[in-house]
Amino acid sequence: MIRDSGKADDELPETTWRRLRELQVLVPTEPGSDFYFLAEPVRRLLAYLLDEAKATTPEIIRGYIQSLEALGKELSRAIDTDDLTVVRLELEEIQQTLRRIYADLDETHHAIMAEVARYKTERQTVSVRDKFRRIVHWMERYVDPMVDIVRTDGPMRATFDETERLLNRAREDGLFNDLPALERNLRHLRLVQRHSLRVFQQCRKEIQPLYDSLRRLSFIAEGAAVALECLRREGPDGWSERHAIGAYSLRWLHVPADNAIERALRNIVEHPPEPAPVLIMSGEDAIPAAYLRRLWLEALPDEVRDALPVQDLLGWVVSRYPQKNTGDALAGFSRLVFHDEFSAKFTEGVSRNYETADGTLDARPVELASA
Amino acid sequence: MSELPHLQELFDRLKRGYHLSPEDEPMFSAVAANHEAYAAYFAPLGLKLVRHPREFFYFDPETAESVPETLPRIAVFSFIFVDYAANAGRSIEDYLLNQHFLISKLPHFSLDRYAELLRQVEVEDAAGVRLVLKQMERLGWVKFVGEEEYRFLRPFHRVFDKCLELSAKGSSRDNETPTTGSGEKLPGSSAETE
Repeated sequence: MIRDSGKADDELPETTWRRLRELQVLVPTEPGSDFYFLAEPVRRLLAYLLDEAKATTPEIIRGYIQSLEALGKELSRAIDTDDLTVVRLELEEIQQTLRRIYADLDETHHAIMAEVARYKTERQTVSVRDKFRRIVHWMERYVDPMVDIVRTDGPMRATFDETERLLNRAREDGLFNDLPALERNLRHLRLVQRHSLRVFQQCRKEIQPLYDSLRRLSFIAEGAAVALECLRREGPDGWSERHAIGAYSLRWLHVPADNAIERALRNIVEHPPEPAPVLIMSGEDAIPAAYLRRLWLEALPDEVRDALPVQDLLGWVVSRYPQKNTGDALAGFSRLVFHDEFSAKFTEGVSRNYETADGTLDARPVELASA
Repeated sequence: MSELPHLQELFDRLKRGYHLSPEDEPMFSAVAANHEAYAAYFAPLGLKLVRHPREFFYFDPETAESVPETLPRIAVFSFIFVDYAANAGRSIEDYLLNQHFLISKLPHFSLDRYAELLRQVEVEDAAGVRLVLKQMERLGWVKFVGEEEYRFLRPFHRVFDKCLELSAKGSSRDNETPTTGSGEKLPGSSAETE
């Protein structure tokens, strides 16, 4: 790294390396080790200069609170025995602990703000669910546990109240007479208390909308992925009932009105007579299409018998005889439906399209079985 | 009741599964201003006029007598779009509802996985996708702004609702019930133009 970042007129990399160790900017992980860390004071200074913040964990804050509790006990004993030296030492240590809490909370606030800003400006492709997982991590690791600690009925408040009570006791009951020091501690105690609550309320306000938004997006993404995976794994049969988005579709079913019945009868009565068919006796002509059609219809029952039971009769007809036109397909269908040997059942299944050679039929499946 | 305007046209559209959104003026304003009266008018016919929290209207499909076979295609098309947006890290709803898309640049055939899923519902190519979009247009979910360009309309929120519903059913995460955009609990529970 020294070589990569150096210029031609810089001192030799070996010299830089030696100086870094001599000045204890780099310190070995253990005596004699070849592995080095950046010294903590330098790391802190660099973080400050680069405005980098690292979130404090709830465990660290809990440690401070426990430390304050221990200091409080020591202080209480020192007040009881009027040990002024220990009182002074305890007060100084309490002051130090409060400063650390203040600084660490501040750093956590900055770290969370930086993370939120990073989410909003991030350009690299990170999936919605990964973003959500990260924000959940921040919420669960830092914000929520911290709020639990610093809230008005949380452990921090209880410890601070006890510390404040001891400081008041030292002022009123003990011989310790450095009242400015006591006042300073009291003010600092209240300041840290207000600050911690405000910091995490602010953090929550910043992060909560992002969390809510990503949570919703994550659920949406998950729902779509679940549906697609189900389709991939199980296929389309039955998929639509559970996964398709419903839309209304009204189908009209009428009882024929009197007018329609009258018109139908009139059509029959008034149908123009047709001349009798003329038989062509010449054997040279091609086989008549009507004859072939008749043969096909006659053979259909034998054809379908091997395939019984058939779940979708019209589907069977159009797939087996795709060259047949709509009239022939329906004629074959009717022949099988009304055949004595078979039993047809009209189902309530989903309506589907049947492609014939010259059109499309829309119908629900009809099952065919042996009578 | 007899004074309700646009009744015939409204019924004619809704009975085909159409979703009435602000694109459908002046009918939309009439229904939005007097939803209860319209709902009461249709109720004796067994038709439930739903007012979605995102402010659009449709007949409740729960009472439908049959499921049109176009709906699975629409669902797969939509879920793929949601999946694509989520994997790209985009804000799914903003991305889908606030942009125009070109049919020729849809992500649906960018991955073999997507193409295979579409084949399962017999959508084989861009022409098939165009047909799906036309079917969505008939539902009032999509509006074409040219031959190639279209955008999603507000009723596309029903897709997001379905995703949330499926997520709630399929996941025990947090033991929470996902909600619609308006905060209501749910029941049961590169393509863009530059």
